[in-house]
Amino acid sequence: MIKKEGSFKYLEIKNISKNFGQTFVLKNIHLDVFKGEFLCLLGPSGCGKTTLLRIISGLERQTNGDIVQDGLLISNSPTEKRDFGIVFQSYALFPNLNAKQNIAYGLENKKINKKEIEKRTNNLLRLVGLEKYSDQFPSQLSGGQQQRVALARAMALSPGLLLLDEPLSALDAQVRSKLRNEIKLIQKKLNLTTIMVTHDQTEALSMADRVVVMERGHIAQIGTPFELYKNPITPFVADFIGKMNLLKGKYDKKNCVFYYLNNRFLISQNTEYSFLENCLLGIRPEDIEIIKFRKNIEKEENILRVKIKEITYLGTIFRLIVVLESKLEENIFVDVISNQMISNNLKIGDFIDIKLKKEKIKLFESNL
Amino acid sequence: MYFKKNFNKSFNILLLRILIIFVFILVSFFIIIPLLPLFLKSFSDNKNNFIGLENFINYIQNPSLTQSFINSLKVAITTTFFSVLIGFIYAYALTRTRLPLKKFFNTFSLFSLYIPPLAVAIGLIYIFGKQGLITQGFFGTIPGFDINLYGFNGIIIGEIFYCFPQALIILVSALNLSDQRLYEAAESLKASPLRKFLTITLPNIKYGLMNSFFICFILSFTDFGVPKVVGGNFNVLATDIYKQVVGQQNFAMGATISIYLLVPSILAFLIDKNFQKNEASLISGKSIPFKPRKNLIVDSIMFIFCSLILILVIGVFSSIVLASLIKIWPYDISLSLQNFRFSNVAGNGYEPYFNTVFMSIYTAIFGTIFVFFTAYLVEKFKPLKKIRMLIYFFSTLPIAIPGLVLGLSYILFFNKPSFSVPFLDFQIFNPFSLLYGTMGILVLANIIHFFTVCFISATTTLKQIDKEFEEVSESLKVPFYKTFLRITIPLSLPTILEIGSYYFVNSMITVSAIIFLYPAKIPVSSVSIVNMDDAGDTASAAAMSTLIVLTSLFVRLIYEFTSRNVSKKSSVWINPLET
Repeated sequence: MIKKEGSFKYLEIKNISKNFGQTFVLKNIHLDVFKGEFLCLLGPSGCGKTTLLRIISGLERQTNGDIVQDGLLISNSPTEKRDFGIVFQSYALFPNLNAKQNIAYGLENKKINKKEIEKRTNNLLRLVGLEKYSDQFPSQLSGGQQQRVALARAMALSPGLLLLDEPLSALDAQVRSKLRNEIKLIQKKLNLTTIMVTHDQTEALSMADRVVVMERGHIAQIGTPFELYKNPITPFVADFIGKMNLLKGKYDKKNCVFYYLNNRFLISQNTEYSFLENCLLGIRPEDIEIIKFRKNIEKEENILRVKIKEITYLGTIFRLIVVLESKLEENIFVDVISNQMISNNLKIGDFIDIKLKKEKIKLFESNL
Repeated sequence: MYFKKNFNKSFNILLLRILIIFVFILVSFFIIIPLLPLFLKSFSDNKNNFIGLENFINYIQNPSLTQSFINSLKVAITTTFFSVLIGFIYAYALTRTRLPLKKFFNTFSLFSLYIPPLAVAIGLIYIFGKQGLITQGFFGTIPGFDINLYGFNGIIIGEIFYCFPQALIILVSALNLSDQRLYEAAESLKASPLRKFLTITLPNIKYGLMNSFFICFILSFTDFGVPKVVGGNFNVLATDIYKQVVGQQNFAMGATISIYLLVPSILAFLIDKNFQKNEASLISGKSIPFKPRKNLIVDSIMFIFCSLILILVIGVFSSIVLASLIKIWPYDISLSLQNFRFSNVAGNGYEPYFNTVFMSIYTAIFGTIFVFFTAYLVEKFKPLKKIRMLIYFFSTLPIAIPGLVLGLSYILFFNKPSFSVPFLDFQIFNPFSLLYGTMGILVLANIIHFFTVCFISATTTLKQIDKEFEEVSESLKVPFYKTFLRITIPLSLPTILEIGSYYFVNSMITVSAIIFLYPAKIPVSSVSIVNMDDAGDTASAAAMSTLIVLTSLFVRLIYEFTSRNVSKKSSVWINPLET
């Protein structure tokens, strides 16, 4: 699987498993990372993403499987012999060394003359925009500045691979979005193969070339952010990347009809839906259309009559929670743009009709 | 297929494994293995014939010896109760009230840590003894009052002096961990002060409370100094061991009694360890420290209570100093320095004093290096997990090994030039026997005797240092020892100094661990206090005690001064607002 012409597999993760005693943390992970690619490992806490990153770095040892970096088998190499730089969530900056000394820490151990170290350290400080702060101790720097020092330190030995473990999660929202762009710019400028672990889907979608969604120790799906959004292959991915309503019902394959309670929905012809009749219907809140109230709804397709239970204002849109009278506990999310909301004058308790757009409906195998 | 990098073996990890195994061997030979000859001895007669349980049966059948066991228990239980009670009230006053002059009370409460228990006992003699200030009504100026010092009463008072600061330290740190928000929440729910105390304060300090109970129990159960000086005819296990070994040269019975002393201590230790295992902090990192409100009645009661305690502590200390300066108590109360000549009894002049100072300096230097390095290897690395866990367990054990037992086991272990392997006709040279009869064995005994407290404080500090520093260093290809020297040591410097000063002070005042061990050519001052007191030269004993206390205080002052400079220097890393 070659992503595009000219790029080659820089890192190959082959059948990696990790268990602590009886518990599996990672199960048969296969993953290729291309040269210069920015890859995100995304998943909820406990899905094994950090463990995978630590196995790549050698800080943790896999139970099974192999890792090949740049054509070299490194499965059992000790950390200090692997070619990577790492930024931890806590940054782990040495508190008794100033910004410059932190960055130079790895360089000083190599047999490089002092002038060269000075030059490279200054270059790195400039790269992350901290020339003025070289003499400051970590405690004198802001969170964002500390983060940049950690980044510069990780890149000091010009590693072939950069590993970022939740690098932005300790920062406040504004600094975070600014740093997202900066890290991305530096990464592209140096064409540095990068793997970032995060639980924040916005971060993953905005930074990564490809995202690896992980769930309970295995890879749920790999793809570009848009692919994942448009074509999630499991209900987990569907609901983790963006939001998706999932309704449990029966699928009549021959007639392409999905039955949910007493309602029937027409589904686009799709040969991929080969599974048994019990399955899930998925539709994103933004793919549900509001039709205010009609008398003869039977004539239209894919219409549900629902009651508005909650209204949340989210800026440009309103998110409604609606329920069927026959199933009050099942929340259905519907996104409505503000203008439509105002012109229709919708209130809590109102009955409305909603339409699930046929071409936007997805079906998923139900694992329940 | 792929190029296999031929560098899978890491020199650093190999080095680390070797170091961990090396430290494991050292702690085994210094802590656990010396106890084996002691156990063997307790099952043998003095000609080294195996006699099974005979010693233990003899012991139980000897009413005067079994009485000592009961006496020791009585002393330990009474002391523990009062020490923890006083320690708790004092700690509560320091942490949870608006006690006036808090800083003063805080500093001086720990004053008695620098007075050897032996010296406390001598001070008590000058206050409550036959010719004591109170007993004789200040040289007959007012009616006297006799508390019958020699015996149970004297031991209890002396032991409380010794144990109370230990309980205080533990309880202050337990009470310092508090959350104002819990009290505010309770108040908003209209909880009474008693209810708040029972539902918030007590549950939060239960681990500290239990810990202080066990520490006080072990200390007072095993202490030798106080019963030796003011015990009179009230025998306890510790003085029995001394009599058997030094008086009758009966090592087998000494070893047997040691087992009776060791077993309850180890039991207390294990119960406490098991209890502390469940400790989970109820106070989160986000908690807001408790800010006591003014309460005139409580604050005044606390002020009176704390003042009384301090007056007693300072009174005992002053009476030691006074006794050392008075020519012939109580007949010629003119001041003189003649007691500081140490010429009459032991006849060693200042030699014991300087030996002790050097011993304490060596203990501080080598002990600090050894304990910190051990804690570092245990805490910071991943290889050889089981061995590191064993090192951890061994390191926490010495607190349960009474000084006398440690001393006796060291004699039995270190004086053997070789070991014979059981069932085989084979001898192994004992390299540690080279230490026997040198200053080295005293230093080693001290290092191990006080190992646990130092080890725990080193471990606690190392835990607070981000474990990812080691991982970052690995990723930057910097070997661990460079990070140890450049990052870990500077960050731990305050604790390292604290450990050094703790070792110094305790080596200055200790007697139990070294009384069996000191070579005749290296007399030490705490032993000469015992000898001078035995010979009736209490004034010289008081003078030597004064020297010890002043030296310890002097070193502590140097420590305070240095650590203040260190923290000023490091404040720029820790507290950005001050720069």
